Amino acid sequence: MGPDHVVADPARLLVYESDGLTQYRQAPLAVVLPGTTDELVEVVRAVHGEGIPVVPRGAGTGLSGGALPVEGSVVVGTARLNRILALDPENRLARVQPGVVNSRLGVEARRHGLHYAPDPSSQSACTLGGNVAENSGGPHCLKYGVTSRYISGLTVVLGGGAVVELGGAARDPATGLDLVGLFVGSEGCFGIATEIEVRLLPLPGGVRTLLGIFASVEDAARAVTGIVAQGLLPAALEIMDGASIRAVEASVYAAGYPTDAGAALVVEFDGTDAGLDEDVARAVACCREAGATDVQHTDDEGQRTRLWQGRKKAFGAMGRIAPDLLVQDATVPRTRLPEVLEEIMAIGARYDLHVANVFHAGDGNLHPKILFDRSDADELARVERASREMMQVCVDAGGTITGEHGVGVDKQKYMRLVHGEEELAAMSAVGGAFDPRGLFNPGKVLPEPEPA
Amino acid sequence: MSEVGILGQALAEHADRLMPCVHCGFCLPACPTYVRLGDEADSPRGRLHLMGAVVEGRLDPASDAFRVHIDRCLGCRACEPVCPSGVEYGALLEVARDVAARARPPALPTRLLLRIFGSRPGRALFLGVGAFLRNTGLASLGARALPGWGPFRSARFGLAMLASTERWEGLRWIRATEGQEAPEDPAPPTTGPRVALLTGCVQEGLYDRVNQATARVLEANGCQVVAMPGGGCCGALHAHGGDLETARRLARTEVRRFLDADVDHVVVNAAGCGATMKEYDELLGGDPAESDAGALARRVRDVNELLAELGPRTGAPVPCRVAVDHPCHLLHAQGIRQAPLAVLKAVPGAEVRLVEDADECCGGAGIYGITHPELGGRIGADKVRSVRATECEVVATANPGCMMQIGAGLRLQGAPEGVMHPVELLDVSYRRAGFYDEERDG
Ligand SMILES: Cc1cc2nc3c(=O)[nH]c(=O)nc-3n(C[C@H](O)[C@H](O)[C@H](O)COP(=O)(O)OP(=O)(O)OC[C@H]3O[C@@H](n4cnc5c(N)ncnc54)[C@H](O)[C@@H]3O)c2cc1C
Ligand code: SF4
Ligand code: SF4
Repeated sequence: MGPDHVVADPARLLVYESDGLTQYRQAPLAVVLPGTTDELVEVVRAVHGEGIPVVPRGAGTGLSGGALPVEGSVVVGTARLNRILALDPENRLARVQPGVVNSRLGVEARRHGLHYAPDPSSQSACTLGGNVAENSGGPHCLKYGVTSRYISGLTVVLGGGAVVELGGAARDPATGLDLVGLFVGSEGCFGIATEIEVRLLPLPGGVRTLLGIFASVEDAARAVTGIVAQGLLPAALEIMDGASIRAVEASVYAAGYPTDAGAALVVEFDGTDAGLDEDVARAVACCREAGATDVQHTDDEGQRTRLWQGRKKAFGAMGRIAPDLLVQDATVPRTRLPEVLEEIMAIGARYDLHVANVFHAGDGNLHPKILFDRSDADELARVERASREMMQVCVDAGGTITGEHGVGVDKQKYMRLVHGEEELAAMSAVGGAFDPRGLFNPGKVLPEPEPA
Repeated sequence: MSEVGILGQALAEHADRLMPCVHCGFCLPACPTYVRLGDEADSPRGRLHLMGAVVEGRLDPASDAFRVHIDRCLGCRACEPVCPSGVEYGALLEVARDVAARARPPALPTRLLLRIFGSRPGRALFLGVGAFLRNTGLASLGARALPGWGPFRSARFGLAMLASTERWEGLRWIRATEGQEAPEDPAPPTTGPRVALLTGCVQEGLYDRVNQATARVLEANGCQVVAMPGGGCCGALHAHGGDLETARRLARTEVRRFLDADVDHVVVNAAGCGATMKEYDELLGGDPAESDAGALARRVRDVNELLAELGPRTGAPVPCRVAVDHPCHLLHAQGIRQAPLAVLKAVPGAEVRLVEDADECCGGAGIYGITHPELGGRIGADKVRSVRATECEVVATANPGCMMQIGAGLRLQGAPEGVMHPVELLDVSYRRAGFYDEERDG
């Protein structure tokens, strides 16, 4: 491998010191960018041979520090493993390398009337390898389910460079343990996925998008509860609060969300054309009942794209408001949304922090975004304390500490809020089965053992 | 303050406004260098991170890392329109280049070129020699004779660029067939805006025909084109190349020249120059001339933009297939996507096909093909492949740098496709329609 693909100059390594979560910085010993599976295997063999840990890295868009280098580690990046190896429209399958960007697979699939369902907001940049490792979700996962539902097979490089095939559509139904299921969501701690087989779906026949405008987030959340109580199954149910709306509208992704609104609710239905309009009518009624100040709907593709772009870029748009940003991720039972939100905002106010909200309301998946400035040590400490309290509120309401961004390094400290020691030990044992020497992304996900 | 500190300070002055980067990574897939190399140090986010490290005093601006990766940026600004946080990458890059160049002199070809283009006689001599090499066929001969490896590669590419600036004669043989008459032309417009044309340095030296065509086409659309003495340079080359001082000097001259001309619009037919001129207020920020710079910047129009605004007259049929490629400095820096298509729409019979990945840089980026033969060659080869896949006779792109880059790529492959500026095609159409006939127009 050429010098361009092996980085050891400390200055050049600086750019790898963080992923999408900038609170943590740690430069690796080196970064290697293999271009083929063979090279990847070689690299893992050599690095593990020296007893040095490997940290897999896709596009580095992760928000929990999953791709944050571990001290004294070698980062193995998949950016050059970016080929779509096969797309089989008849069997609705694709086989890709891990560095393929999510939305690029979407574009290719669309040429065949198909789509890849999981659509993280970061889909224009994040890789399928990262999606597999984080078991990523997205707005449309309300109806379609998250990544794990769409991964049918994996080729994985394990510790020391051994290569194994897990699952595969040809071997469906699977016999024995579902190892693909175990690997999906393993956050880079089990090995490196070097080939990924995904299931594709036919494009829905029709799509209707509805935008409800509310005076408050609580009203919007009540509309969500109403829609679900009606037995409707939208493809997506997303809420943005006023602060997020204003940031988006000030950005290149302005979509025409009213900037004086307290909250916006985006509801989308898709499927066979017949029946969609009736669903929309019922959802509109729910919005009005919950006090919507305005409800618009569109089946215009251009407007739809703009609304979604606006929603999906809301996090990035926050950069206009504050230099640093912590995107939290937690879930609560949907019905508890209004009260939990209120508490989260109260925590923000108590710590004198600016908090904005965008969330997958249908799944009860919250993303409070805390704005701050890292150069202010006191503020940084308040962010830390507020985060913990927010997690506690979600857990107390019957939820959990991550909906889709993973545990990484950022959520380790909260793991004991939701998992008992036996459960943690079982997780550790499963990890050990894949990576006995603990040389993939060590020290992440599982918390430090309790001091005796 | 240490040298590092002073230079970091230069960048830091811009940090607040320009660097609200949240590290989201959305810009990575838009970046031609990252997509090909896979190294985050060659991505927009990575480059911003390096700039940030200089500001924080953690990285020496004279270091290899800073120099190499800032230098390897195409300056195509594809990372800007995808950034949700609105990071003004182009402006930051100019400062970073300037800082890098002050910490350590840039490579010889860049230094030479900036030196030559910094003075009027230098430009005239250089471009005169270029035109001579082209007109005598020596450039073309050299491009064919030199081998494509090692030290010859850059020279060969440079000569091919020169040779490619020749007028493409392919259209001459294409005639409208029976039944494709020119449409009835409603009375030609008479009262258009008063405009002055930036004739530019490279444009004037090597693409005078494009300037001529621009003036004719504007007049045919009712504009009053004010004659201006030539020989100016807008400073874009220097601003992009890390010499802000010279860029500012050149910019101040142009601001005065064009404001004195008292025109409604300054029309530019080179996207790179247009982008810089529209940002003169940024370049001359803090300068007493600043308010004037802003006044001028607001009057600058790309020729496609102005024609699209005016609604161009339809000319006579020129049946041909035209591939369209977007210059980065038109699309990403000026946000102009539809206007060149509107211009070509006024040419009946021209079948327009957008080049696949037309949004991506052709690798031209000034003299990138010469300073970075390997990577520039790869990016250029991809573009040439996409252009050829359209199966068109001619490719239209509204920037001299892109015309040369694509033209050189085609030429080195021995490909028959021609390269034109969109207004050149409209000019052919107007000529055929008899719009320039004194008797008819006068
Ligand atoms: C603006 C923004 C919006 C986001 N929205 C969403 C969202 O809606 N839903 C969501 O789920 N996430 C979201 N994310 C988080 C993030 O984009 C996802 O976690 C994504 O899957 C990460 O992909 P990546 O390629 O960037 O991986 P990285 O960040 O590089 O890595 C993530 C983890 O995957 C591991 N990894 C990477 N490649 C491999 C491989 N080939 N084999 C094994 N392990 C690997 C790494 O070690 C790391 O632990 C968002 C992030 C941002 C910045
Ligand atoms: S898209 Fe903008 S905010 Fe995001 S990493 Fe790139 S420059 Fe930074
Ligand atoms: S200007 Fe172009 S080459 Fe430079 S970082 Fe932005 S996208 Fe990449």
